[in-house]
Amino acid sequence: MFHVKLNLFSKAKALESKIDMFHDKVIDSAMTFKKSVREYLNAGRSDEFKKVNKQLRQIEHDADQLRRDIENRLYSQNLIPDLRANVLEMVENLDRVINRFDEVSYQFYIEQPEIPEIYFSRITDLVEQVTDCAENMSIASRSFFRDLSLVRDYSQKVYFLEHETDLTSGRLKKSIFDSDIPLANKLQLSTIIDEIENIADLAEDSIDRLLIFTIKRDI
Amino acid sequence: MDAIFFLFLSSGLFLGWSLGANDAANIFGTAVGSRMIKFRTAAGIASVFVILGAVYAGGGTSQTLVSLGEINALAGAFMVALSAALTVYWLVSSGLLVSTSQAIVGAIIGWNIFAGKDTDWGILSTIVSSWISCPLLSGVIAVMTYFAIKHLLRHCRVHLVSQYSWVRIGLVVIAAFGAYALGANNIANVMGVFVESSPLHDWSFHGFTLSKVQILFLIGGISIASGIVTYSHKTIQTVGNSLMKMTPIIAWIIVFSQSVVLFLFASQGLKNFLESWGMPSLPLVPVSSSQAVLGAFIGIGLAKGGRDVNWLAVLKIIAGWIVTPIVSAIVCFVSLFFLENVFNQVVYH
Repeated sequence: MFHVKLNLFSKAKALESKIDMFHDKVIDSAMTFKKSVREYLNAGRSDEFKKVNKQLRQIEHDADQLRRDIENRLYSQNLIPDLRANVLEMVENLDRVINRFDEVSYQFYIEQPEIPEIYFSRITDLVEQVTDCAENMSIASRSFFRDLSLVRDYSQKVYFLEHETDLTSGRLKKSIFDSDIPLANKLQLSTIIDEIENIADLAEDSIDRLLIFTIKRDI
Repeated sequence: MDAIFFLFLSSGLFLGWSLGANDAANIFGTAVGSRMIKFRTAAGIASVFVILGAVYAGGGTSQTLVSLGEINALAGAFMVALSAALTVYWLVSSGLLVSTSQAIVGAIIGWNIFAGKDTDWGILSTIVSSWISCPLLSGVIAVMTYFAIKHLLRHCRVHLVSQYSWVRIGLVVIAAFGAYALGANNIANVMGVFVESSPLHDWSFHGFTLSKVQILFLIGGISIASGIVTYSHKTIQTVGNSLMKMTPIIAWIIVFSQSVVLFLFASQGLKNFLESWGMPSLPLVPVSSSQAVLGAFIGIGLAKGGRDVNWLAVLKIIAGWIVTPIVSAIVCFVSLFFLENVFNQVVYH
């Protein structure tokens, strides 16, 4: 009985650690994405930008491995039988956000969009809001496991920031299409802005699901 | 003599088997249904503890039933148990929330009337009031435990995965305690009517002694355990236990409340302890585990704001209090008449 109890708790602790590490990856990817865009705006596809881009790819790869490990433990060890489908969905939603950070950064790498300097500060603002949104999503998700009362607080922040990204991206796109740069550049920039903004939408969708799981989890 | 005894005891054994098959779902149905515990583990633990509860703590409630009606003929005891079993079967199929405890009390009164014995109205009123206080007490305990655990979870901030590990251990412990309490409280329903007419003798082996009543309860406990092992998994899977839709923590609270109530109404030691300190104690009476569960369920529903309370279930409990003993008494009276006049059996002395 004592052995069974110890084994049960060691398995639980191992899974908790993996889940915590996965949440760390969300925050790492957000911070690295921010750094990646900043490097691109400073010096285009420079060596430093390539290095940061590679870091982001590695984070995404590590997060995928963690996700698979969590999925495997959730189902093979039967630790939270009635909530494992919810936890699995949450982890997959967070993973989509990490993937999107990597994809958008890679899009900068491949397409090398020409961005006039007058838009730098607004793109930085947009990236700041999107990464804040993802970080708050990660904290809300982490709270789901430890302190349900905090989930609502951080979810509200995600909703607020998502709305802010809509406004910022709208203003940015309007200003781009009002400018004299070639239409091809306008469309390219508009697509990239949509892709960045889309990350906040993904975070919002993830929070919508999280709030439903929170109601289900509350005793 | 032994063969005849076991033939007459068969109705009690059948009652025990059906008790195990049905009431075990209240103890570990959620844990098994939500895959928190394997059926084999739960059934094994429950079987052992239901027998322990019956043998070591079943005396008090049986004494109360004996005081209500001292059924002194084996054939009479057989028919009392069979009448209770038939009443439960009949009323359950008509959709009422029926308790074996209420059916057996009704059947004993039926025997009293048939045999021309006086019914002790003081004991009867104690028993009937316990039927009312059982779901009420279970509800109060459930509400208090619910708020205590909610408070604890808010302040301890245990990780969800560790929390589930604790709940899993809690469900195993509560399955053991619940089974012990069920055995202690409900063995009277199964074997109580045979106590007076039992031809068994005390048994001793290397200083280990079982009284004749304990041997009777051991047999009854084994019949309950056989119901748990052979049929309770089907009850859990097919009856559609409403407990299964709850979170494991809520389920634990409900099983905990039910077990505490059954234990309070069964423990002679606890009764003596409370009385020695001048505190009020509860009578030792067999109560319904299903009604205790429903009381806890309603209590938590009210604690959550009253939206989830199934008031039809409350009406079913109240209807069960009135209908079950009356029907059981009538069935027993009529059956005793046939047993005495058609089969020429002595049903009372």
